[in-house]
Amino acid sequence: MNNDQVSSGIWVFIGVAICLASLQYRIGTLSSPGSGFMPFLSGLAIGFFSIIGFIHATIRKNRGEVWDSFLKAVRWEKALIIIISLFAYGLLLGPIGFFLCTLLFIGFLLRVIVPQRWLLVIGGSLLITVASYVVFEVLLKAQLPKGFLGF
Amino acid sequence: MDFFNSAIMGFQLAFQPINFMFCFIGVLIGTLVGVLPGLGPVAAMSLLLPVTFNVAPVSAIIVLSGIYYGAMYGGSTTSILVNIPGEAASVITCLDGYQMARQGRAGPALWIAAFGSFIAGTLSIVGLMFIGPFLAAGALRFGPPEYFAIMILGMTVLTFLASGPMWKALLMAAFGLFLSTIGMDNVSGIARLSFNIEELLDGIGLVPVVMGLFGISEVMLNVESSMDRSIFATKIKNILPNLKDWKASWGPIIRGTFLGFFLGILPGAGAVISSFASYAVEKKISKHPEKFGTGVIEGVAGPESANNAATGGAFIPLLSLGIPSNAVTALLLGALIIHGIQPGPLLIKEHPDIFWGTVASMYLGNILLLVLNLPLIGLWVKVLKVPYPVLFPLILLFCLIGAYSLNNSITDVTIMNIFGLIGYFFRKFRYEAAPLVLALVLGPMMENSLRQSLLLSDGNPLIFLNRPISSVILIIAFLLLAFPLIPWFNKKRPAFGE
Repeated sequence: MNNDQVSSGIWVFIGVAICLASLQYRIGTLSSPGSGFMPFLSGLAIGFFSIIGFIHATIRKNRGEVWDSFLKAVRWEKALIIIISLFAYGLLLGPIGFFLCTLLFIGFLLRVIVPQRWLLVIGGSLLITVASYVVFEVLLKAQLPKGFLGF
Repeated sequence: MDFFNSAIMGFQLAFQPINFMFCFIGVLIGTLVGVLPGLGPVAAMSLLLPVTFNVAPVSAIIVLSGIYYGAMYGGSTTSILVNIPGEAASVITCLDGYQMARQGRAGPALWIAAFGSFIAGTLSIVGLMFIGPFLAAGALRFGPPEYFAIMILGMTVLTFLASGPMWKALLMAAFGLFLSTIGMDNVSGIARLSFNIEELLDGIGLVPVVMGLFGISEVMLNVESSMDRSIFATKIKNILPNLKDWKASWGPIIRGTFLGFFLGILPGAGAVISSFASYAVEKKISKHPEKFGTGVIEGVAGPESANNAATGGAFIPLLSLGIPSNAVTALLLGALIIHGIQPGPLLIKEHPDIFWGTVASMYLGNILLLVLNLPLIGLWVKVLKVPYPVLFPLILLFCLIGAYSLNNSITDVTIMNIFGLIGYFFRKFRYEAAPLVLALVLGPMMENSLRQSLLLSDGNPLIFLNRPISSVILIIAFLLLAFPLIPWFNKKRPAFGE
């Protein structure tokens, strides 16, 4: 299977899942379309285009196009760390507040992704956190979460 | 009062020190919120609205309008510099603007975006003054079938936007349409696919989706490649556009202005549609369409002019008919009503100071924006000299704060992160996100107009062909869709990433 065969195959499942999910709402009729009408139509469209895509990809496979791994020759673990730290930021923002959460987030990224000197890690994260706090919380009144520290 | 006396009165009002100051504050805040991803003009205007209760109505409208067109002006900056659209209308600017920045040409891109915005903004105000009232009457003839046809035309534009196979672009659009249906159904009030998450009742926010698909995924791709090589060209080639850039930009600026102005009049996402449409037009008529997406100046000049011209167009239905064409003009409508002024056909006659004062302040605001923004370009370009290992945490932080501050909700942050991951895989599997964004914007209006049209016609889909305006628009859309079936056209379609 080549890349487009795999991705279009996944899309077929997504299209079917959307159609099935939209059945729990009333699809209705043409003269009285219900809440599920548009989600159902979009699910059908996803299924239709992904089948076309699968056929298209299969033709190319028969011409010799094979699976091309998108993880080779890249340091994908860094991208993984980034996305995990973003989700962690979202989880911790409420409980520990903007200031501490941002300080840890910036410091962690500066130290882990491309390791910087500790002086830059500590100074940089502190500077960025204070500056963003002043701009967003103090000047723009963005009402950032305060957490247990109170700021 | 004749036209010239009215215009002179407007300028006298705009140049009064208090109104001048409000205009300056408006465009300054607008530029700031435009540059900062997530904090859009609606949020900034909502925050500032109570402050305007104690000032004269004309000053209130001047400062609020300034935020609106100032945000459109500033929205391109982060699109060009770090691939994060400050505004939905600047999404398309990412495609070529960011590539220009990577080639060390952020300066010319920002200059052309600023000049294009200035010219488009100014010309659209001229249009607002001279032909606004006539066009507003025309817009009244648009019912649900016509709007549905316009949305279909908007969607066909995406076939010109995307590189790579057309099925991928259409699939992305279908997925965007599906995403737009999540949340409360406007007709029945039923919560659809919201999984009992309160924040999802209003639907999936455009800004978290856009920041995830464009900003977060870009950072993920950059960090996994060896950062020994620079993400951005280390040598900034030049700050000013060269003669070739100017020559290539004039046409797109003028075309984008006209397109943006006329599409801006239509209720809905005028600025967003017009920026996408302008890009599509430029790509279509270009002698080198295969170069679009690799950093061509026309891909910046057209859309940035179009989204600014659309702001002028959006004022037409508001000021002459009392119909807001988007969330921003709805806020302006609210502000007018709070001040005891009823927008509508009689506004120009009964409150000429409001109409002409606002229009004149927009001329002034456009000049102020140019004066404010041009000296900043050198500063913005220097941002790219910050080493990427230090810059990327900042980019991520701006995205996080932008997503959170939309509704003060962590759900929006989670949505952005999820779409960051999805965007990463889209890029790996060579799916382009722009059609998804366009469909997500147009989706709710498309669904409403489709369902209303079907209800109107008792389920007869021929209603779209029986009405002259909608049938003409649909024929144009059909012809645009049929183009890629012509073999010579398909040969010109670039592959993803080419």
